[in-house]
Formats: sequence, structure tokens, C-alpha cells
Amino acid sequence: MTRESFRRDINREFDALSGSPSPALSARVRAALTENRPARIGPPVWMAGVAAAMIALIIVGVLVASNLNRHQTGIVPGTIPSPSSSPVVSARPNATPSAQASPTSPAGRYACGNSAASATNPPLSAFVNAVRTGTHAGYDQVTIQFSNGQPSDVNFDPQSTATFMESPKGQAITLAGQDGILITIKGADGHTQYSGPTDFNTNYPELKEMRQVQDFEGTVQWALGLAHPGCYAYTFLTNPTRLVIYIQQ
Amino acid sequence: MMSAVTEQRPTAMQRATQGDADAFAMVLDPLLNPAYRLAAVMLSDRMAAEDAVQEAAVKAWRNLGQLRGDESSLRAWFLSIVANECRMTRRRRWWSVVKLADVEPDRGRAGLSQEATTDLRRAIARLSPDERLPLVLYFYLDLPLDEVARTLRVSPAAAKSRIYRAAQRLRSDLTLEEVS
Repeated sequence: MTRESFRRDINREFDALSGSPSPALSARVRAALTENRPARIGPPVWMAGVAAAMIALIIVGVLVASNLNRHQTGIVPGTIPSPSSSPVVSARPNATPSAQASPTSPAGRYACGNSAASATNPPLSAFVNAVRTGTHAGYDQVTIQFSNGQPSDVNFDPQSTATFMESPKGQAITLAGQDGILITIKGADGHTQYSGPTDFNTNYPELKEMRQVQDFEGTVQWALGLAHPGCYAYTFLTNPTRLVIYIQQ
Repeated sequence: MMSAVTEQRPTAMQRATQGDADAFAMVLDPLLNPAYRLAAVMLSDRMAAEDAVQEAAVKAWRNLGQLRGDESSLRAWFLSIVANECRMTRRRRWWSVVKLADVEPDRGRAGLSQEATTDLRRAIARLSPDERLPLVLYFYLDLPLDEVARTLRVSPAAAKSRIYRAAQRLRSDLTLEEVS
């Protein structure tokens, strides 16, 4: 067997193994890219870290130096200054309200309680065919994509623990994080067209873990383990149909 | 025609670097087919391969700054992300098994006996995904050795050695000189 015939034979086997990508792959990737805007494009993170550290050092240095000068000018020779006698200038800048995450998500205002959505003309069973997660400035994102339309009902139930009941096993499982949201999708099927991961160890600022806890009798449940009590917003987008959930950081 | 394409590409890459998702999709489009083929051979699962390519595209998009606009490194960089995504997919799936291909290959081919085809197929099935990777890059995607090395993130000598070792498991009489 020559090298070329070896190459030909091995390629034939690889061809048989891989086939061709579906014609929709390109559109699917494009949609995913549009949905997941990069959090940051620019120099690598370590450069920003080094720059931030240097700026912080300079600021601290300036403040310490100005503080020392202030103390020196307040000292009368031959006296021991009382700590309370001279005006103390704090090295810290005045406390200002920290930058708050935007109160609205790309889907509108965040809600912190239970909520539900219903479809007007749902398919008999909406097939999940992709699940994705992402993190952005101000929110973490979960996308559950359906191949054939919006499922009949979706419920969102926030809870104060990250422990959920796995169904139909009835076994308690604890996700990463302190709090949680249970997403219940009725009239859905999470296994026929979806073979991706069922446990995402995201460790994002708010969404720490996401795991499928039920895919049984037409109900699919995904449990979200969150760092804090979670406020969220959601929307259904089309082409392809997908439920996009924004979790406030 | 070719010159028009060559002139367009850096512009698309520049726009992608500035945060234009459509431009990045355009830059990535020619790489989706090789990326899918790589993933499909590594995972032996066509749907999982498409998912892996999609996830890899999103990761590439979010880390495009690492590339620093160097379009000549895009293919190796993106394929290395796809390979990594395939490894993660396999790790995440607790039920992970090496699946058989969805479609049986054409058995009646001239020049290769049924027995030899079956032997080769079995030998490929015995390779781990990481052993298949250099073979896919070098033989199937026809990447030059230095690009295989960049995708594997090893030296060209190490890449050559990996291709040789994996190929030898398929064809024991292969010589190192044949992998060059």
C-alpha cells in the first residue's frame, strides 16, 4: 500500500464517519454568534489586569503620600499629636454608589418572582435541539432552542436553595451556588433531537451551574444554580425558535 | 475575482475584531466544513459534531482578541478550539460512548477488498479521539505539517511524531519518511 493509497483509504473511512454537515449549520452558527456578542474584544485579560493594578498602585501611592504630608503639617514640634486632634483625611475616596447592573435586560425588566408563559398554537411536543449558556456584562444567558416551535407552557420558579429534585428518580441534587431557578417546560422533549450536555458547570458571575433534572412524560426541567437570589427576564425568539433567559448579575 | 476576495477578507476580519458578528460569521464560514469534519470524526456523532462546532464558534467569537487580527492563524486557532470543544463534549457526557457512524460507508469499492476496509474501519474505531486528531488534520483536512503543529499546539517534530504513531496503528509497515 503506497502512502497515497493509504491517504485515500483513510479519507474514505473518515468521509463515511463524518458525512456532510447539515445545510443549516452555517445559519445556525451565524445566529449563535449574533446572540453571543463578545464580552470584550481587545488586548488579553492579563494586560488589562496589569494596567488596572498599576493604576491602583499609583492612586494608592498618591493618596498615601498626600495623607503623610497632611499629618506632617499638622504636627507641632514638641507635642505628640492626638489621633483625634487633627482632621483625618481618609485614604479611601468618598463612597459612591457602586455601578449597578442595568435594571433592564435585552428582554425588558427583570422579575424576581414566579412567572409563566404560554404558547397560543404549540406543537404536540416541542423538540429541544440545542442548549447554550453565555455571560455578558450585566447578565448571564441561557438559551434553549426548539426545532419545531414554542412549547405549550414554561414556568419559572425561583427558590432560595440550589437543591432540586431529579425526576422521575426523586433524588435530591445540589447544584453549585446558593439559590436557584427551576425552569419547567411542558409539552417538550429534551432527548430526541438533543444529545448535548445536560450539566453545564458555567461558574459565571450569577449562573454557577445548569442541569437538566427532568426529561420525562413531555416535561423538561432545567435547574439553575445561582450565586444570589436570581432575578431574570426571558423572551422567545424565532428563526430558530428559542427561549432566551437573562439572569441578572 | 480572486483579488476581490483577497481584498475583502482583511476588511471582514477587521470588522469582526471591532465586534461585527456578521463579519466574523463570514470569516468563519469557509472553516465550518473542515471544523465539522474534524468534530464528526473525533466524536463519531454528527449532531454532537455540529453542536461542538457551534459552541467552538461562539468561544472563538468571544476570544477573538487573542488572535490579534492575525487571519493567517485563524484556521489553526479555530480548529484547536473545535478539538478542545470535542474533548469537553466527551467529558461532559457521562454516558459517552464511541458511536458508530450514522451511515454505513459504501462497501463495493474497487481497489480495496471488503476485508481490508473492515480492518481499517476497526483500526480507526480503536483509536482514541486524540489519536484520530492528527490523522484528521494531516490526511483528511490536508493541512501542512506546521499548521497541524499549531492546531495541536506542539512543535512540528512532535506533530509529525503523533501523526506517525497514530498512522502506524492503522498500518504497521508505515515508515516515518512517508509522513512528511
